[in-house]
Amino acid sequence: MQYKQQNADALVDMVDIHKYFGSVQVLRGVDFHVDRQEIVGLLGDNGAGKSTLIKVLTGFHSLTRGQIYFDGDAVAIESPHDARELGIETVHQDLALVPLMSIARNFWLGQEPTYSIGPFRLLDKKKMASESVGALADVGIHIRDSEETVGTMSGGERQSIAIGRAVYFGKKLLILDEPTSALSVGETQKVLDYTIAAKEKGMGVIFITHNIRHVYEVADRFTIIERGHKLGDFYKSEVTENEVADMIVTGQIPERLRLYGEGAGE
Amino acid sequence: MMQAYLENKREAATVGLLVTFLNFGFAILGALVAFLVFFGWMPFGERANILRSDLNNIEIIVTIASLIYAACCARTGFGLLRREKSSLRWSQWMLFITVMIGGAILLSVIIPVGLKFSLLLSQDIDLRAVINDTAAVSELAPMALMVGETLIGVNLFLIALLALLALLVFIIPPLDALRRIDGIRLIVAPPRRLIVAFMVLLTIGVACVLIAGAFTVPLYPGMTTIRDAENHRLLAGLLFFLPGFVGYRLVRQVEEESDELRRAIALTPGKFIRSELAKSPSAGAIIGFIAIFMAFTMATDLFLEPSSVASFLSNVATKGIIAIGVTYLMISGEFDLSVGSILGVTALSFMNFMTNGAPVFGVMEPIPAAMLAIFVAFVLGSINGVLLITTRIPSFIVTLGTLLAFRAITLVAIAGGRILRYSDHHDALPVIAISNLVFMALVVIGLLVVAFTAYRVLPVWYRQAAHAWSIREANGDFGTTGALIRTGVFLLALFVIVIAVIWLVAVFSYHSSAGGGQMVEVGYFDLFNGRVLSIGSEGDFFHMPIPRNANVRLAIVWWFIFVAIFHVILTNTSFGNSIFATGGNEGAARAQGVNVDRIKLQNFVIVALLTGIAAIYETARNPGVDPLKGTGWELEVIAMTVIGGALLTGGYGSVVGSLLGALIFGMLQTGLVLVGIESRLFAGTIGVIIIAAVVLNTLVRGGQRN
Repeated sequence: MQYKQQNADALVDMVDIHKYFGSVQVLRGVDFHVDRQEIVGLLGDNGAGKSTLIKVLTGFHSLTRGQIYFDGDAVAIESPHDARELGIETVHQDLALVPLMSIARNFWLGQEPTYSIGPFRLLDKKKMASESVGALADVGIHIRDSEETVGTMSGGERQSIAIGRAVYFGKKLLILDEPTSALSVGETQKVLDYTIAAKEKGMGVIFITHNIRHVYEVADRFTIIERGHKLGDFYKSEVTENEVADMIVTGQIPERLRLYGEGAGE
Repeated sequence: MMQAYLENKREAATVGLLVTFLNFGFAILGALVAFLVFFGWMPFGERANILRSDLNNIEIIVTIASLIYAACCARTGFGLLRREKSSLRWSQWMLFITVMIGGAILLSVIIPVGLKFSLLLSQDIDLRAVINDTAAVSELAPMALMVGETLIGVNLFLIALLALLALLVFIIPPLDALRRIDGIRLIVAPPRRLIVAFMVLLTIGVACVLIAGAFTVPLYPGMTTIRDAENHRLLAGLLFFLPGFVGYRLVRQVEEESDELRRAIALTPGKFIRSELAKSPSAGAIIGFIAIFMAFTMATDLFLEPSSVASFLSNVATKGIIAIGVTYLMISGEFDLSVGSILGVTALSFMNFMTNGAPVFGVMEPIPAAMLAIFVAFVLGSINGVLLITTRIPSFIVTLGTLLAFRAITLVAIAGGRILRYSDHHDALPVIAISNLVFMALVVIGLLVVAFTAYRVLPVWYRQAAHAWSIREANGDFGTTGALIRTGVFLLALFVIVIAVIWLVAVFSYHSSAGGGQMVEVGYFDLFNGRVLSIGSEGDFFHMPIPRNANVRLAIVWWFIFVAIFHVILTNTSFGNSIFATGGNEGAARAQGVNVDRIKLQNFVIVALLTGIAAIYETARNPGVDPLKGTGWELEVIAMTVIGGALLTGGYGSVVGSLLGALIFGMLQTGLVLVGIESRLFAGTIGVIIIAAVVLNTLVRGGQRN
């Protein structure tokens, strides 16, 4: 079967994604896309399939049927490593940083700057310290000391550093997996600010949550997943916060919005 | 208050003058102590009991330290008189040091006396009978002694150690800097009442010894009296400790102000030490090392003898080498129970290749045999690693399995529990003749290394020193201490480099005097792990300034070299960074592109290789292998690593910590024997130390675990 990229300019375009675990059909033909410099709220109740969709995109699961286009090219993402190579950065609730390591070391983990003495390559600690502080300041995150261990920081600060790192390393797509579910109101606000900063630096952002209140303020568009189907794409100008919340709970598109929903063109 | 004094405020005059007076007082006291010690009126160490005319090591150190201390105190006093701002910091530090000195002198009396009491009681001598026998007993003394017997005699050693720990906990309350960070759990405040109780008990005990000593009561027939010497020291200790403590309380408080320089001086010595320790994974090990080192140094003169130091270093060098690898592995979140068995198999292979011969190569020379044996270790380590990665069984179980499986190899290979000895197959130990040109070349390489280090290090440290002085210039007289320290570091480095060059040139001229091409006979095994002095036919081959009776083994040198190399790898390379990440949060490491499985496999191989090298050294030291060689080493090595601050859960630890852990282990092994405590208590002591070290580490690190 031939697939065609549906949204020509999109950063990511996932077309007709199917994912079966044995006989369980978790995703049944979902189309999903993220434009450049766009924040998409990926919403849905627990078990709706939104995590599976993202795991397909980040290479943790292989897809059963469908096609992913990234930056205009058809790609096969088979491992987390592939996704990383493409420039997709995922910030998980717990998997983002190593608590016992310093901010600078976390920031550079996996791509440390080095200098050579003969055949030996040693860490360039000065660069690690100064550039991590500078890069985080660019996104609006001001840290006291790059040698401080991440374990002493709050959940919001950790999320922020992970976001700042993704921005610095020139990632194209940032996926935030339930980033605010364990944060206080103030911290949530900070994470949302950094999300906007990431967008302004040119990244596309997928913001996964089941709580609309966390994302309504910053998202440009909402995609709602319901039992393996996409319920619809809604631009913020088209819907109110309460309507989105209702759709997540009921799985029904209100009469007024039928035009924009999944079945609109059919 | 002191700040106000420096600004010439009238209300602070009394306190300021008191502190100034205290500083001058301590200067005089320090000079007096130096004088007394130098002329033998205040002996330290064993001399309290054995009258000797010459100064021992401790006394020389004490004399020099006292003079430096006196000079610093005097300088502080003058600074305070002239209202220099930097003198505030100086007085903080000097009074802090004074308290420490006082405590140390007190301990130097308490520990030996306590040990003697404990020994006395363990010998079931009726103390009261002894006292009653003595003619010169006054009314008060027996009573004091009886109280002292219960309070300190029974368990003074234990109380002193606990009090020391309590004191350390006392100076490690939560960091003020950490308190401001939200979301952090603060350190549990130390149980003050417990500390106070210890202190009171200790004070009463000391007072009783003082009283008893004042009346010169003989404690037991062998030991004549608590001598005047010990009274002098008690007096000196109290003179330093009590006023020093009062003074330190006075100068410790500095009002915090926005001015950055003011804030800098608000970092009192206690806080400074605490925050420095909190940065280090091996805080517990550092404190433990200092405490145990001081305790043994004061308890017995023999401890600092070169032969004792050499003996404990030699005993733990091989285990220390393995501990480096185990630290790596533990940081990456795994551990290895099979090192003892790997050691056994490697040692056996090495010996077997040299005696019965290897399958293809036949009977081998020591160096190829060593290389092949280390390859065997490499294979065993790879088996561990591959099993772990492919099966995903916890490393505890994998290596428990291989612990038993690898041991079976040695048990089967040497039937009937015999010992495979080199001397059973060969008439003499293997010897190699090496041209002295080789040694001259080694010296040249050494010179090059020294020159390169000097080239890299000296300019940097010189610049730092110059920078520190310029900061001092710019800020009035702030920053004097930092400038002095940096200058000192620079001068010390310069000194060490000059000495190294002189020594190397001397060795070179020694070898060149015999003419080039001369052959020198060296024992093969000595090259691996010989007594440094016995290497070479002349027995003086590197001109090392080591006393003749010291059993300094070459493995010690190798150990320190390995520690340096592996420390740099762990802290200064991407590989090291990945190890920390793998153990700290495997998911995050993987998400950042770290190949977690490969890191773990590499670490298993590193452990095995270091164990293999250790096995070669062990075998070279004593050329015979029994099938149970290395049994039980795995837990000892893990103990060293844990004392050194590595977390069993991974993600935290240091190579230097493993070094300290091994040193603590060795000091206890040798020291307990030297002070006459039964070696049966060794295992128990190590057990207590492990738990104490881990508790200390947790306390110092505070709540920043996750």
